[in-house]
Amino acid sequence: MSATIHVENARKHYQSGDTTVRALDGVTIEARPGELIGIMGASGSGKSTMLLIAGLLEPPTEGEVFFRGERVSCPGADLDRLRAFRRRNIGFVFQKANLIPFLSAIENVALALKIDDVPKRAAHDYAEALLVELGLGHRVDNRPARLSGGEQQRVAIARALANDPPLLLADEPTAALDSVRSRHVMELFRTIADVRGASILVVTHDPRSVDLFDRVYEFSDGKIVATSRRTAPEALAAH
Amino acid sequence: MSLALKDIAFSPTRFILTVLGVGFLITASIGMVGIYRGIVDDAMLLVEKVGADLWIVQGGRQGPFSEGSSVRADLDQRVAGVAGVTSARRFLQVSQQFDAPDGVGQMRAAIVGLDYPKDEGNWIDLVAGRSIATGHFEAIADETIGLALGDVVRLNHDDYTIVGITRQMVDLSGDGILFVTINDAMEIAQRRSSEEVLLTRAVMDDAGPEAALSPAANKVAAVLATVDPAADIAAVRASIAAWGDVNVMSRADQRDLLLNQRLWRLRVQILAFTGVLLIVMTIVISLIIYMMTLEKLHQIAMLKLMGARNSLITGMIAQQSAAISFLAFGVGIGLAKLIFPLFPRRVVMAPDDITYLFIAVAVIAACASLIGISRAMRVRAQEVLA
Ligand SMILES: Nc1ncnc2c1ncn2[C@@H]1O[C@H](COP(=O)(O)OP(=O)(O)OP(=O)(O)O)[C@@H](O)[C@H]1O
Ligand SMILES: [Mg+2]
Repeated sequence: MSATIHVENARKHYQSGDTTVRALDGVTIEARPGELIGIMGASGSGKSTMLLIAGLLEPPTEGEVFFRGERVSCPGADLDRLRAFRRRNIGFVFQKANLIPFLSAIENVALALKIDDVPKRAAHDYAEALLVELGLGHRVDNRPARLSGGEQQRVAIARALANDPPLLLADEPTAALDSVRSRHVMELFRTIADVRGASILVVTHDPRSVDLFDRVYEFSDGKIVATSRRTAPEALAAH
Repeated sequence: MSLALKDIAFSPTRFILTVLGVGFLITASIGMVGIYRGIVDDAMLLVEKVGADLWIVQGGRQGPFSEGSSVRADLDQRVAGVAGVTSARRFLQVSQQFDAPDGVGQMRAAIVGLDYPKDEGNWIDLVAGRSIATGHFEAIADETIGLALGDVVRLNHDDYTIVGITRQMVDLSGDGILFVTINDAMEIAQRRSSEEVLLTRAVMDDAGPEAALSPAANKVAAVLATVDPAADIAAVRASIAAWGDVNVMSRADQRDLLLNQRLWRLRVQILAFTGVLLIVMTIVISLIIYMMTLEKLHQIAMLKLMGARNSLITGMIAQQSAAISFLAFGVGIGLAKLIFPLFPRRVVMAPDDITYLFIAVAVIAACASLIGISRAMRVRAQEVLA
């Protein structure tokens, strides 16, 4: 089976004054259906830049991005045209939940569906089902201000999942949460990958969750300096 | 419910205050235009109502609405003799301050003489009482003067009884009109103050006893002629003008005189002020919409990231702008209806003016939306990460 996302030898250079910042310097990564991939590395090592390129929000200065084997981005690509593509195929989660403050939890999730022209009733029902699935059944009618940080983040994840995208990109989704809730959110990603077969890229600083990742890319200065694989579950079970 | 309405429902206090604020600006605009219309209407009232085709005034002058005018009191007979003239009435208007009937304080009125019995004042719309029925000491008062039916007021040594009441019969400056017979009006005008008489007497010492009595003796301000519709009004006018000692003005001349000369500065002033108000309104609404957009930039970036179409974002901004403007318009009209009747002068809310104002507000709302929308369109989805 081909990779959901495949970023091939991507470079991203930013010009600031006379100096060129090499935010990404020849990086290749891929994620297959059902895989939860970790991206780790020091601050400024290019992790977020990687997500921008994989998420079709910035074109690479050099290199290519393939989605299910099809080239979708390359230097100079006009990405604004890909808005509808993004809406169906990529879900985003950030450190901050970025929920719309004047909408309830369920409305925030349903909005993602309405944007994709799902009828109101169906959007509402599916949003509710998603929130129940993420353990927020009792919070659906609350506005974000009345939810805890962990709950807000789960609503944001539900919203990212609403259109059933094959690819989920998360940039430090647990940075604002305590360790128990962080673990909870990471386990949620694991489940989503397993049950829905989504490919998930998670940028994180938290080493305690590495056991959940299928693969971890270690970034440094815009390059991948190490790739580690999780021991296969069968192997663990054999112990 | 749309995003725009949900946002409004989320912070209703701010929304209500905004609508109230803009509503007051709209009320003020309605007021400015309405005061203007009121003044013009009031100024035209007498000219339109009295229904004269020609005004014969003092030679070389523009008539009583512009400057002093005085013609001999028997001029009407000369005018009546002109072919084509069906009636000639004498006209006199004097502003007067007098004691209130209860003796407390003073009242003001514009005293207008009716050429009774030729003119019984049937053209005056009464809200109470009757028209003048005798040659002396009866008066019809406008309600703005503050007199009631049966009240007796002393005007220049004589007591006048109020027999009829009118509504909104005022002169150019907003003083209520008090109609009396022309002879009474001449009497009142003649001896406005003893000092005035003494003064003129000194000046006109050798002009004979009659003239010494008063310069206003046996004088009226103008003669109003009605012309037979079958006659050539221009010819009638020319033949009277040929006398040389009078000036003849048509009703259109009077209207033009009032609008384009007497009230010209006021009109320009009020229209300029209305313009300023509309500009202020544009700035206020634009600023509000712009601030509301700025506040939501992060969410707008998120919406773009989620792949929302531009129409969703522009729709939200435009709807809020429309909601503010049109609700404010409703509030503005409501307030205007509530408070303007309490104003001392008439504020006319003409349907045409309200329509134009509505169009102006719609245009302002559209401009404000465009400013907000252009800012929102510059937001990039990546800014969510910032
Ligand atoms: N728009 C930009 N213009 C100029 N330089 C940029 C821009 N975006 C990122 N950079 C630079 O590129 C490098 C990589 O940035 P990036 O945000 O990918 O790092 P990161 O690994 O996500 O760091 P952190 O863990 O702090 O979020 C940094 O040196 C950053 O300063
Ligand atoms: Mg980052």
